[in-house]
Amino acid sequence: MTEVELRVHELRKTFHPGLLEPSVEVLKGLSLEVARGEIFGFLGPNGAGKTTTIKAIVGLVIPDAGEITIAGHPHDSLEAKRRIGFMAENPYLYTHLSGREYLRFSAELLGIPPPEVADRIAAVLAQVTMTASADRKMRTYSKGMLQRIALAQALLGEPELLILDEPMSGLDPIGRRDVRDLILGQQERGTTVFFSSHIIPDVETICDRVATVIDGAVRGVGAVRDLLAREVERYELTFTGADPARLATPLVASRVGSDAAWARVEAGHRDALIRELADAGARLVSLVPVRSTLEDLVVAQVEGRSGS
Amino acid sequence: MRVIRVIAATTFREALRDRILYLFLGFAIALLASSKLFGILTVGDQAKIIKDMGLAGIQLFSMLIAVMMSVLLISREIDSRTVYYILAKPVRRWQFLLGKYAGLLAVVAVNLALMTAALLLFVWVYGGGVDARLLLATAMIGVEMAVLVAFATLFSVVTKPILGSVFTLAVFVVGHVSEDLWLLTRHLPGSVGRALATGLYYVVPNLERFNFKTEAVHQLAIPAAAVGWALLYGLGFTALALVLACLRFARRDLQ
Amino acid sequence: MRPRTVAALVTAAALLAGTVAVEQRLQTVSRADPLGRELLYLPTAEMLNLTSLGNAGFLADLLYLWSIQYYSQFQPHERFLYLETVYDLITDLDPLYHDAYRIGALIMQIQTGPDDAERQQAVIRLFDKGLANMPDNHELAEAAAWDMYVRYRNMEQAIRYVEAGVEMPGAPHRLKRLLAVWRDREEGLSFEEALAYWQEVREEAETEYDRVVSDRQIYRLFAARDTDRLDPLLERWSERTGSCPSSWKPLVDADWLREVPRDYFGQPYRILPESCSAKGLDEVRFD
Repeated sequence: MTEVELRVHELRKTFHPGLLEPSVEVLKGLSLEVARGEIFGFLGPNGAGKTTTIKAIVGLVIPDAGEITIAGHPHDSLEAKRRIGFMAENPYLYTHLSGREYLRFSAELLGIPPPEVADRIAAVLAQVTMTASADRKMRTYSKGMLQRIALAQALLGEPELLILDEPMSGLDPIGRRDVRDLILGQQERGTTVFFSSHIIPDVETICDRVATVIDGAVRGVGAVRDLLAREVERYELTFTGADPARLATPLVASRVGSDAAWARVEAGHRDALIRELADAGARLVSLVPVRSTLEDLVVAQVEGRSGS
Repeated sequence: MRVIRVIAATTFREALRDRILYLFLGFAIALLASSKLFGILTVGDQAKIIKDMGLAGIQLFSMLIAVMMSVLLISREIDSRTVYYILAKPVRRWQFLLGKYAGLLAVVAVNLALMTAALLLFVWVYGGGVDARLLLATAMIGVEMAVLVAFATLFSVVTKPILGSVFTLAVFVVGHVSEDLWLLTRHLPGSVGRALATGLYYVVPNLERFNFKTEAVHQLAIPAAAVGWALLYGLGFTALALVLACLRFARRDLQ
Repeated sequence: MRPRTVAALVTAAALLAGTVAVEQRLQTVSRADPLGRELLYLPTAEMLNLTSLGNAGFLADLLYLWSIQYYSQFQPHERFLYLETVYDLITDLDPLYHDAYRIGALIMQIQTGPDDAERQQAVIRLFDKGLANMPDNHELAEAAAWDMYVRYRNMEQAIRYVEAGVEMPGAPHRLKRLLAVWRDREEGLSFEEALAYWQEVREEAETEYDRVVSDRQIYRLFAARDTDRLDPLLERWSERTGSCPSSWKPLVDADWLREVPRDYFGQPYRILPESCSAKGLDEVRFD
């Protein structure tokens, strides 16, 4: 087993908004482990507890129960915090400072030795392609630019664990590609990356492992391929010479086009449908296994919860 | 210590960009205009009136800066979530609060120094005696403000911004009248009111302990013990308020 | 401009003119003693002290400035409302307010009328309060002594204040001399003695205020001496010619006087036709 970089064990948190409002139990025993060097995606619908978990890890929310360690250190120790680079969702930064001034402030807080500060800032600005706008006041920045500076301050301390809350939200396609490349680049230099997202294609393409969180607890963890393979259970068939409405085999969905008809079946009914089409004298045009997406997976888990 | 200094410096800078410091300019102009006016109106010693007015104005403006800025800057940091990036770094929560406190105190102190310089100039121009007691009186206003900013820091982490300002203002008002109220209730029958007034007197800092205005204006002797114990008293209440603030902030969820 | 805009502007101008006219009308309506009623509601010193949040001295200044403006609108024969109460309040708020005792007493003395004796007691009470609060303030004792002597001819009180002043640390030598002379001669000082005294005060004066006060005293000394000499001349002239002269010229022409008599500042004395007497400048004014 590889070394564990981030361990979250049985995390519980209930918020008490006020005397007259009901309490909200956000985390109900959430556990997960992130191995050193991997890119770990954290998925789930809004309100599932993703942001609360991340805030608990970086010490902004104090859990009622549970344990969080970073490289073996308690998460609220300075040893742990020195290893973290963090970016929040929808970054808010000091608008009265320029990007470079803000990074200098961050560097001072991190305790980066003064002679190295200027070089380090220049390096992270280049990484997030913000060198040209670094000396403008941040109140003139677009949302994407603020996000880049927020990312830059997360990278500034050369962290071994990068924690990013929705790093792609609000970015244009080029920005998203840049962030994706940056995360992969960080992995190459050995950084562990833990990030939440609701943009599933991004997670699919870059994550080594994924956890889905629903209703305050982790529902499934694993390599993206494994998680999906277990769930690939459907096929799509295209054919001519038969009316899908008259077929006896149960279909998940169907449609009649101008040239051909199309139907989707559960894996268990695949052979029965092929036999029925042959018996009816229809001609099979294509048979495609449908790989379910992470989105389907999450939706299925959410529906499974509400059904049970 | 480095962390506290960095946060204090940034807070100070933010306050400067907020143009709050320019309140000082308004104060200086108001003082200039009104001392000229009162110079025309009065019979007798102009310098007394300038000193009275200047010291009252310095106290009032310092209080306004302390109450408004403290609650504003700390709440803004928390509400606008800029605090996330500070606390996710190797920074203790109490270091953040102390840094904020130090920065705010620096803002108040710089304002106080500028206003004091203006006052000394006016007193000198209008022929009054400029002596060290005037400086001591303004320095003790500074000590009073140190206590007040500590309470503002406390209130800004336990309550909402507007309530925080109101509570800090209440500490200022009660802190100035509690001794008189306490003395007045001594003559009243009934132990409940007296116990309440006594309790209030000891829980809220008696800000009159930092009031050396009369001595400064009338050039009376100031016992060293009154200054020394007042400093200790101010330090005690400042530490008390900051410890309570850090205790509360350590367990507060930021969202 | 469109007609509608013009009409609106004209209407606005007319309305403004209307309010100005009404305000001017309001100014002419006399109201029953508004300031006096305002004074009735003066809070107690304790309440004012509480609300000043540690700035009682400043509050005393404001009240003092207001009182100077308020009472200087009255004529000396009018009743000065709540004068003692107001100065009691000011000196409660700032018990060390030297100017307030001095000016308060002065304003009380300016008044004339039937209850003069009562007001003299108020002046004494105010000075006594000041000396109780500032037992070392020999300037206040000296001022009190002179006010008692000049305004009320009350030698007993005047000597009491000088006696108190002499005992105070740093009291000037002239006070001792004054006490000796006053004790010798209960009726007062000769012209030369008084002149010497006030000239010494003027030389030793450290503030403009003290210089003005001594100038005023010196002026009065000369005026009193000169009118004492001029009034019999005028009386004799009236008896002789049957009418009061409108100027000094006939007396100079008749060689009764060498030249037109002038006061300490070089201004000619006036002749008051109703009493046919010589007169210097009018009464004390604050300037």
